[in-house]
Amino acid sequence: MAKDLSYYQNKKSLSEKLIVGGALGAVVSFLGMQFTAVNLPGLYNGFILLIVVSIILAAIGGFQFSSIVKKFKNEYLKDIISEWIEDGYYDPKRGLSPAQVYHCEFLKKADRFHSEDLLTGTIDGIRFQASDIQLQERHVRHTKNGTQTYYVTYFKGQMYVFDFNKDFDGYLQVLENQRPQSRRKYERVKLESIDFNKKFNTYTTNQHTAFYILTPPFMERLMAIEKAHPGKIGFAFIDNQLHLGINNNKSNFTIHLFRRIDEALMKAFQDDLKVIYSIIDELKINKKIFKEV
Amino acid sequence: MDNLLPIIIVLAVLLLPVIWFIATMNTLRQKEVKVEEASSGIDVALTKRFDALSKLVQTTKGYAKHEAETFEKIVKWRAGLPKELDIEQKQEFMSKMNEVQSGINVAVEAYPDLKAEKVFVNLQNSINNVEEHLQAARRLYNSNVSTLNQRIVTFPTSVVASLINLQRKAFFEADAAKREDVEMNF
Repeated sequence: MAKDLSYYQNKKSLSEKLIVGGALGAVVSFLGMQFTAVNLPGLYNGFILLIVVSIILAAIGGFQFSSIVKKFKNEYLKDIISEWIEDGYYDPKRGLSPAQVYHCEFLKKADRFHSEDLLTGTIDGIRFQASDIQLQERHVRHTKNGTQTYYVTYFKGQMYVFDFNKDFDGYLQVLENQRPQSRRKYERVKLESIDFNKKFNTYTTNQHTAFYILTPPFMERLMAIEKAHPGKIGFAFIDNQLHLGINNNKSNFTIHLFRRIDEALMKAFQDDLKVIYSIIDELKINKKIFKEV
Repeated sequence: MDNLLPIIIVLAVLLLPVIWFIATMNTLRQKEVKVEEASSGIDVALTKRFDALSKLVQTTKGYAKHEAETFEKIVKWRAGLPKELDIEQKQEFMSKMNEVQSGINVAVEAYPDLKAEKVFVNLQNSINNVEEHLQAARRLYNSNVSTLNQRIVTFPTSVVASLINLQRKAFFEADAAKREDVEMNF
């Protein structure tokens, strides 16, 4: 690892100081301009100069902040994730492709698609891929002043794709207040658990597959996962893979202004990965009891 | 035209129950077909389980003689399950296979070398897989039976069911232990 956490923290701290200094300078200059506009034209011009300098300083600070965050993710985080996870690969600039995301068949095609923070690796022998996803729909509003176009976010969260430990035919969707977004002939199926049916809508192209995958203990585990992860959740079992989407209005590996880059932050990032561990562990998809030995 | 209106109303009043009857009857028949399809699913799963168990018995014949003999009692269904087999007979068939399976599990405990053999482990995995499919088929069948039975006993659908002589179907019960996830016990 090339640099330690303090290197990035110091750089980030410097950029934050520039942002704060610039912002304060701009506020003071603005107030000064109000009091000197009429009587002290010389000082007024000085405040104009100061406000320009302050804004430039704040902009430089902002640029440096963004640059150091990118650098931290590309250098430090990339390295440490490869240590945390077997075959771990992290790329902050890339994400799951639209084809990979829509393959889950419970997210409709977006007018604006954005994905970042791609994470792939192997945990307990299970290959997975994950990334932050943001999907937006275009809306048009007609007013007397003309036509306005704006975008509404309908999914912001994470998408995970895991290898699944059972071979199965057909397609299965377990969704919270959603419907499959596919022309495939899904039919709704009711399982034995009243609680499960209340919590999730289950759709499948093969009823036997639904009952094969969703055993009573497995349904309990899906409900436990839903309980542990706030946000709207969707599970899709397709092509021997489990797709999990959590629409929680959050992004992983986010570094905010004034949040220190330290061990506590690294712990928070490790917590972001906990969902992957908990899915593999809770759903026991690491137990390949039906595969060839 | 004015004279036709009362006739149309009378016809509609008379036709509505007939249309409802036909629609309800069709729905019930469709549900019955679903039950039959699910029952066929059980047959397929039972046959697969039988085949897998048959291979396991062959492999462990030297170690579990009693189980091999027990297995011979159900070997009459080697060619496949007879079509006229009712749910109770299928349950009995499954219980017999469970009995043989449990016996083999106990018998091979004394033979660690056999347990470690790849062929044996693969067979066990295959049986577990078939068992999971059997449980899925059983649950799907019971789910369809439950839906149909609910319709049959609920008024006014019960009237149609009675007129077309549609009877409540029996559930396919499972051993308590088989309701759990299948885990490798070896």
